[in-house]
Amino acid sequence: MTDQPLQPFAPPAFFESGMYGSALGNRLFSTGAVVIGILLVVFIIWAVYTLVAVYHWFKYSNASWIIFPAVAAHFFISFALMAYALSGNAFFLMSYLP
Amino acid sequence: MKEFELEPGEHVVLHVRKHWFLFLTELLPYAIIAVIPFAIPNLLSLAPPMASYADIFNYHEPLARAGLGVWLLMSWTAAWGAFTRYFLNEWVLTSQRIVNIKQRRFFSREVSSLFLSRIQDVTTDVSGVIPSLLGIGNIKAQTAAEDIEFVMHGIPRPEQMRDLILKYVPEEDPQATGI
Repeated sequence: MTDQPLQPFAPPAFFESGMYGSALGNRLFSTGAVVIGILLVVFIIWAVYTLVAVYHWFKYSNASWIIFPAVAAHFFISFALMAYALSGNAFFLMSYLP
Repeated sequence: MKEFELEPGEHVVLHVRKHWFLFLTELLPYAIIAVIPFAIPNLLSLAPPMASYADIFNYHEPLARAGLGVWLLMSWTAAWGAFTRYFLNEWVLTSQRIVNIKQRRFFSREVSSLFLSRIQDVTTDVSGVIPSLLGIGNIKAQTAAEDIEFVMHGIPRPEQMRDLILKYVPEEDPQATGI
């Protein structure tokens, strides 16, 4: 047994940063964390949808050359839009977005 | 071909998909959905009581920008999915049959064949101003059994396609029918 007195429970810093006092109690997550969570869910859905679509392209396009520009365009534009959502920099799409 | 095995001596004559104009009309809803976040602030500013809400759509703010990015990402992905379905739906004319490949949605694919030797009648149908100008039409292939029809909707240059089908329909041998 150590002779140190018991310390009060300290939540992780991630939770601590988002806690604000309110009438109903403490909020667990900050707005930023919620937004990141929503973005994460959207990106996961995008990844699953893309995986399924690319699977169909490869399986059923009968080795057509269009598969490569089609899939490449999807990835380039999608990644640019993801970057825009996260950082505001949409690379080559920047001139079309506010 | 992965979808179907070619018979000995059979070769693929043509791959046909819906006319590009019909594909563009399928894309129109996605384009409208993508434009909505840009249109809403302008529409709100036209109605004075609602004008204050236009500030929510200030896309220089990180939260609104993230929302716009997600909205455009979903619109783009859905449109690309529509293109995938458009491309994977096709008719294949071979020297012996017409193969109809329907990709209704992901993991739902139907492949059906109609042998040209069974075809009795091929009808083309072009109706409307835009279809007439762009050469978009339907082809209906009828077999001897009246209940069996093979319809190709919205194909480009249907007359040429009909002629091509009829070119490969085998002529009946009069001796085989006993006439």
